[in-house]
Amino acid sequence: MIISYVTASAGQNFWSNFFVANRYVSGSIIIIIYIVIATVLAYLLSGYIANIYLGTKTAMDRISGPIVAAFEKMLGEDAKRDMDFREYFSTILVFSLFLGIIGFAVIYFQHYLPFSFSNNHMTPSLIFNTVASFLTNTNLQHYSNPFDLSYFSTTFVITGFMFVSAGIGFAASMAFIRGIISEHGKIGNFYHDFLVSEFYLLLPLSVLLTVILVLSGVPQTMSPYITITPVLSHVSFRLPLGPVATLEAIKNIGTNGGGFYGANAGFPLENPNWFTNLVELEAFMLIPLASILSLGKVFENRRFARMLYGVIMAIFIFTAFLSFFGEMVGVPAITDLGMSFTGNMLGKETAIGISQSTIFSVGATLTSTGAANGALINYTPVGIMGPLLDLLLNDPLGGVGTGVLNIFMYVIFTVFITSLMVGKLPEIMSLKIGSREIRYSTLSLVTHPLLVIIPFGITLLIPNMLSTFVNTRPDQITQLLYEFGTAAANNGSEIGGFLTNQAYFNYLDGVIMLLGRYLLMGFQLLIAQSFSYKKPKVQVMRTVDPGSFMFGFSLFFVMILLGLLSFFPILALGPLLAFAKAFNLFIAGVVL
Amino acid sequence: MNKYLEIVYYTFRDFRPDRLFRNPVMFVTEVAFIVSLVFTIDPASADLPSYFPYSAFYVSTTVMLFLTIFFSNLAEAVSEGKSNAITASLRKMKTNIIAHVKTESGIVDRPSGEVRKGDVVLVYKDEIIPVDGEIISGSCYVNESNITGESRPVMKVQGDSVTGSTRLVTDSAEIRATSDPGESFIDNMIKLIGTATRQRTPNEIALAALLSGLTLVFLVISAVIFPMSTALGVSINIVMLIVLLIALMPTTIGALLPAIGVSAINKISEFNIIAKSGRAVENAGDIDTIILDKTGTVTIGEREAVKFYPNNGIDYGEFVKMCAIASLEDMTKEGISIVNLARKEGISVSQEDLGNHDFIPFSAETKFSGVKTEGHQILKGSLRALKAKLGLSDTFIEALCKEISMRGGTAIPVVRDDRFVGVIELNDLLKPGVKERLESIKSMNIKTIMCTGDDEVTAEYIAREAGIDEYVANVTPMDKYNVVIREKEKQLMVAMVGDGTNDAPALAKADVGLAMNNGTPAAKEAANMVDLDNDPTKLLDVIFIGKQILITRGALTTFSIANDISKYFVIIPAIFFVFPSLAYLNILGLSDPLLAITSALIFNTAIIVVLIPLAIRGVRFVPTTISELLKRNLLIYGLGGVIVPFIFIKIIYVILAVAGVAW
Repeated sequence: MIISYVTASAGQNFWSNFFVANRYVSGSIIIIIYIVIATVLAYLLSGYIANIYLGTKTAMDRISGPIVAAFEKMLGEDAKRDMDFREYFSTILVFSLFLGIIGFAVIYFQHYLPFSFSNNHMTPSLIFNTVASFLTNTNLQHYSNPFDLSYFSTTFVITGFMFVSAGIGFAASMAFIRGIISEHGKIGNFYHDFLVSEFYLLLPLSVLLTVILVLSGVPQTMSPYITITPVLSHVSFRLPLGPVATLEAIKNIGTNGGGFYGANAGFPLENPNWFTNLVELEAFMLIPLASILSLGKVFENRRFARMLYGVIMAIFIFTAFLSFFGEMVGVPAITDLGMSFTGNMLGKETAIGISQSTIFSVGATLTSTGAANGALINYTPVGIMGPLLDLLLNDPLGGVGTGVLNIFMYVIFTVFITSLMVGKLPEIMSLKIGSREIRYSTLSLVTHPLLVIIPFGITLLIPNMLSTFVNTRPDQITQLLYEFGTAAANNGSEIGGFLTNQAYFNYLDGVIMLLGRYLLMGFQLLIAQSFSYKKPKVQVMRTVDPGSFMFGFSLFFVMILLGLLSFFPILALGPLLAFAKAFNLFIAGVVL
Repeated sequence: MNKYLEIVYYTFRDFRPDRLFRNPVMFVTEVAFIVSLVFTIDPASADLPSYFPYSAFYVSTTVMLFLTIFFSNLAEAVSEGKSNAITASLRKMKTNIIAHVKTESGIVDRPSGEVRKGDVVLVYKDEIIPVDGEIISGSCYVNESNITGESRPVMKVQGDSVTGSTRLVTDSAEIRATSDPGESFIDNMIKLIGTATRQRTPNEIALAALLSGLTLVFLVISAVIFPMSTALGVSINIVMLIVLLIALMPTTIGALLPAIGVSAINKISEFNIIAKSGRAVENAGDIDTIILDKTGTVTIGEREAVKFYPNNGIDYGEFVKMCAIASLEDMTKEGISIVNLARKEGISVSQEDLGNHDFIPFSAETKFSGVKTEGHQILKGSLRALKAKLGLSDTFIEALCKEISMRGGTAIPVVRDDRFVGVIELNDLLKPGVKERLESIKSMNIKTIMCTGDDEVTAEYIAREAGIDEYVANVTPMDKYNVVIREKEKQLMVAMVGDGTNDAPALAKADVGLAMNNGTPAAKEAANMVDLDNDPTKLLDVIFIGKQILITRGALTTFSIANDISKYFVIIPAIFFVFPSLAYLNILGLSDPLLAITSALIFNTAIIVVLIPLAIRGVRFVPTTISELLKRNLLIYGLGGVIVPFIFIKIIYVILAVAGVAW
């Protein structure tokens, strides 16, 4: 079963024969290579990120320092004072609201603005959804990208917001870490943090990535659409080119995930070959993973960072291989015909293949990227469980910055429970965890499932809401769960399977995305605020060691038990039922 | 009221929704109980099938939900009953007696309830002391057995505090009342136990927040199954969803949480310690540093004179006499023992021999005491203090003192006028068992600091003998406070024992301050626990209990949450039995869905009863390293919490099936 033979492709070399013949083995090795490269790159960047978190000297001081200083001078007093939670968070909200309104206006009036080659019109609900989506680092795309948006809108709202949302996320994590370190109740200055995130981290890395992508064949132009009439065809179609590489760079570096083209990284111009596939995955894993690893230097506890890395990677490896094997086993209907060696190639780019597709989509939901290089709707029920479980866990590795905030919430619960079990009062980084921190952690813990389940239930209650769905019922449940899961987790990965561009879904998803981002960030920064008054202990090793294997083990189970298990009844009627019935998610109909 | 009737009364009283509201898990359970009661009585109201297997299922569900709340209340009631018994026994001690109050117009007899703070009362032999107070003149033996349980009378001298309702067995004393009616020590203790059991500790509040959050999520997830199954074209029996909700909610810990809280105070009370708040007990579990007094805690404390060493050129008999004279009015235990030893050596002195004299009492600041007669001044006390005071030095005496210190004894040099005349050796022994207790404290990673008025050498000797990490020698009362502050600055949790007025600031500053009942009122006021038996080593028991309470809470929470895995695998396939293809989730192979759901609910209810004793008694706690403890408890309560329900649900199911319950 595991080893399938492809006799036709027999070559001379033993190893190439072996890898072609044993696709489970070669696929697994590819997945492991992806993870190893991600780890190495993240490790290399982690020291730099730690310096940013600690506010110490970095390699970019000479280039980025003057730019940040110039902006701060322009802002005047606002950029100087230390803020407490209330001020910091309200600045984030006001800043986001201000940008949201501008973004809305730009798209609404895009015909009157330059670089508009399109006559397409976006409804207010779709604009709201799009603006909310890109402002919250979600990049759920209910529009069909290159046709609905002008180049100006794409550059300003899409690419611009990608920078802004990732910057806000990273600023929040800077504030969070400062809250833990500081003792005077202040968590830093938002403007400063935001500028530092942009000019020290996001811009340099994006420029680097743009160059790599352009060299690998991704277009970067302001030229209008190309009209192509394929040979032997009497139908011509328009192929939009545009500033693809820049968008692609920040899409991945900023864990955004909204592609230039509707098919996202599955479109050859966004992701031309295996190399860009690797580059893009490593790019979106880079900052979240490096931020986690940097905590070792930040808190002077490398074992803690290693433990977090281990737990997150355990989840990554589990979901990646679940998805990989789910896809490799394939669709019963086709396997039964004796074509077991193919696996489920439906909806996948043949140049990329199953292993690189599954690791890409699982990686995209492990982080809050949500990019896709294949059609998730064609995944088998087991294959889709990989990305879905990560979504329901609220992106275990998180987005730029937000990953640190999310994992800390689970760490706080784990510390709480394990400390009690050894008869100590809970403390993390030598800071006491009181009822206040647990209350805020609980609020942020329940926010995600409630944001998923409540809209899910409401939608099912509304008659005819399921009328645009084309798959069988269990698949519809999976798709609906995925839709709200991706919105609440600010991920942006999509199965689709129904008409998403309806006013109902546009508004509902928009609200979920906003709440999933700002409500959660608010609760998490409140935790930081309450830590910021506490003085750390001098000695640390008198309680449960948060770097130990037992702690990591507990953290893993706390994540599963508190974060994931509550979705079990829905999963039972969704993918688990579809799996049992040998239902499959592939379709005959057309999805808009 | 009869003890059992009282428990039954509390159990049913707590069914009131307004009382249950404090505990969201149980409140939701009660709402579920009422809803399922309605459906049991009138299934048609929700379009539920009312024929046989279902009707029995509704009844059993309703009964189980009732029992869940009942057992939760019972656990709390048993705990509460215990604490009521404690307050009742305290109340019994309060007897109204006649006090002989000294007033300007002579001695007036008044009921003890009318004695105010500051009044001076006279108590004679075999009378009951009417009020809390401080002895201002006289010395006597007092029987405090009704408070401490110790039947041997204790000696009280001027300045000692006495507790109302204890009995004077010898002599007579003049006592100044230190509290107003209704504010006596016992009144306060009764009040404290009452409020301490009601106030929730920060940890309890935190846990309750987590449990409420989980309850909310489970409430929503159970509700969403309804539209989901409708979308799939099947209808789900709402009573099944109620069972799912109750099974998923952390009912085990939710039901037992209040009982654990009350039992903390009770367990402390069993050790004859009155805790002023549950928080103090919890803090005790997390202590990083203990500040101990040498005397009384590490050593027996009744230091006795064992030998006299006269200086060169001083006659032995003369020296012994000088010592006896200097200690004649020194009513400390050391002083009395010196006079006794002198008597044994055949030298006894009396007040008359001295003539006109002034006694110089010992004070913690000067560190010496003595007597001033006509022509002579004899002082005894700490070597360092005497040297400093008189500007003397004597190599022989200093060497002698050092030698005595090095073998753990205490050397008391004696000075007449301006010359060292000799040294008295006092001996003090380590308390039996203290070494082993300190060993187990150490294994819990707790630092011990010993404070002693002795010199460096003695302190080091005792510290090394007993296995103490740090010592502070030659302490003044201020030093103790400074040690507490120093440790607190490192954000460490500090516990200390104290009895004197001087200890009050340090006791108040410490996270856990244990005052001795025979200590001064100020110390008892400042501390957050009072030990009725005056046994400072009980601080270690307090730490154990504190840890036990925390572990019990953590273990039951872990167990409760881990239980959910099995419940999902039992109830979900049973609820969705209409999809036969989901049978692969039914890993226990429970073929009858209604019976499977009922078995899960029975387990859910029964586990509460089984764990009540554990909640009240506390999880067994063996002092060991943190990682060992974590591994052990994760294995028992985490892994056990996953596996145990699978086994028992299957057993319950099989028993029900064998017993012929065929639904």
